[in-house]
Amino acid sequence: MIFLFIIVPLVLAALMPLLGKISKRFLPDLLANATMLFLLVFSVISAKPLIANGGVIQQAFWFGAPINIRLLLDGFSLFMLFTISLVSFAVTLYSIDYMEQYGAKANYYALLLLMIAGMNGLVLTSDLFNIYLFLEVAAVASYALVAFGQGHDELEASFKYLMLSAVASAFILLSIAIIFGLTGGLGFGAVASGLKTLNIKYVVGFCSGLFLMGFGLKTALVPFHTWLPDAHPSAPAPISAMLSGVLIKVSGVYAMMRIFLNVFGLTPALTTVLTVLGMASIFVGALAALGQKDIKRMLAYSSISQVGYVILGLGIGTPLGIIGGLFHLFNHALFKSLLFLNAGAVEQSTGTRSLDQMGGLAKRMPLTAATSAIGSLSIAGVPPLNGFWSKLLIIIALVQAKMHVLAFLAVLGSVITLWYYLVLQHNAFFGKLNDTWKSVKEAPFWMSAATVMLALLCIIIGLVFPMIIHSWLQPAADVLSSGVAVTLNFIGF
Amino acid sequence: MHLFLMIGLVAFSIMAVLSRDLLRSAINLAVASIFLAIIFFRMNAVYAGVFEVSVVAGLITVLFITAIALTRGDQEVVENKRHLLIFPLFFLILVIIDILVMKNLLGKIPAMVSSETGTFGEVLWKQRTFDLIGQIGVIFAGVLAVLALFRQGEKNHHGGKE
Repeated sequence: MIFLFIIVPLVLAALMPLLGKISKRFLPDLLANATMLFLLVFSVISAKPLIANGGVIQQAFWFGAPINIRLLLDGFSLFMLFTISLVSFAVTLYSIDYMEQYGAKANYYALLLLMIAGMNGLVLTSDLFNIYLFLEVAAVASYALVAFGQGHDELEASFKYLMLSAVASAFILLSIAIIFGLTGGLGFGAVASGLKTLNIKYVVGFCSGLFLMGFGLKTALVPFHTWLPDAHPSAPAPISAMLSGVLIKVSGVYAMMRIFLNVFGLTPALTTVLTVLGMASIFVGALAALGQKDIKRMLAYSSISQVGYVILGLGIGTPLGIIGGLFHLFNHALFKSLLFLNAGAVEQSTGTRSLDQMGGLAKRMPLTAATSAIGSLSIAGVPPLNGFWSKLLIIIALVQAKMHVLAFLAVLGSVITLWYYLVLQHNAFFGKLNDTWKSVKEAPFWMSAATVMLALLCIIIGLVFPMIIHSWLQPAADVLSSGVAVTLNFIGF
Repeated sequence: MHLFLMIGLVAFSIMAVLSRDLLRSAINLAVASIFLAIIFFRMNAVYAGVFEVSVVAGLITVLFITAIALTRGDQEVVENKRHLLIFPLFFLILVIIDILVMKNLLGKIPAMVSSETGTFGEVLWKQRTFDLIGQIGVIFAGVLAVLALFRQGEKNHHGGKE
């Protein structure tokens, strides 16, 4: 049944170009949104009860006969599926109005659905080579989506992204090949038990380094981040939201953490490397964001910085650190997609992304300004919004792990975040209304609906965060903090 | 013999990267791929060798050359020459690291284990069924990418050209 997470978007993606011939707008809009809503509801209502007693493996059937496709659903994968579905739903809702200007909506939805199928496949598999394959499905779709506008900048950014992503894939594939050669298996269970009996820590260290470079490039961790500030702003706004909101987390953070924590096992050396890279990302991203004049580029640098927090939290490896890291991953998916969608609304209304040319837009676009303020305050960690709680958990986890210097630096990074988001809000929405924008109108209905939904979620989750932690984050964090044991003890992994 | 093949593979790959003439670059790549195919054959990876020769050296080269023949070289592009210096430098550093790391590493790798056995078809269809779905996804993404990026190719000349 959980196979539907992959097959529904895949089949819809196949049908989209044909449906586009019948109806250019209505059918693609309707079906894409219906699919996303279905996946969101499905992950909450049907999939959640399945993992009440821990992870499950489901066998796929083809005309009644079992085939060798077995999918793994546990707390961590369900948490990711839920995050993907939630952001995707907001993005497809927003695309109804926003993508009108680009044309070829059916093709756009087809690529988007394929990217989602790729991400869902990656999250549900328990096999290293499948991770690589579904990573590529999502990546190939995302290269095309980044270049969807067909302009010079879009194509250049997409090419740069493609080239660096190919390097990342090569590192990942090389590491998988070495592991296959060593253990004779590709399934998580086979690899974990194979590596346990072999006792070859240098080779595992080498493979970890390759994975770190590969997935680090996909996550855009410093120093592997150079492609992101080009690729994410160049894409159409909903795709920027998808890429920054979920893709870098699924193809980078999820894959890396699943392998490092559940298959290889977290070592002190790896903890050090992850926390150092996380901290470097926080500062490089934040300081670079401070100097940006292009609103989407500022948000892109901010993504590098915020993913640094996620890696920092998960890298500590303590149960609280993992919960904090996952919570921040979820929160960042919400507010960063919100901010990118708002930036898209502003760009569509004014025709510019330059913060210097904006000013006073709150008078003309009150909803966009209000939702953007919520997103900005949330990402900067202002209580009682959701971003505050996740950052607080990460900082408490750092203090508990006696990493006081890192805890202090994490707070400092958050202050810089507040600084550049205040600059963004001030330059874009507050102050005197620039005469050029006298005739600017508020974003259309569906675009506003998507941003209001995400902004409300930021507030609600901030208020009821213990419930979210208990029902969604704890099962996910349990899987990660059990380490290799969960893989070794789980028959059929 | 293996060393000779490896040197051939690397040399032709480098020439493919450094050559400024696209046609020459494509042919260099095809030759490099033939070297790789011979290495595959000699290492008993027969299927990989067949695919390498037929698809990479054959089909893809034909596609490259056709695409190059369809483009016009109507403008001179001024390029930075720095890559001529940087590339060999990085390559040399990489080779040194490779020799140092691999020499130590290979000694520590235990004998290769093999568990997934069977004929090529069996492995592909019965053991790696899920991979097929992923492969369909990748091919499909490629097709849709071409459809999306080459839309209105006539109107938007820039997009089509890239």
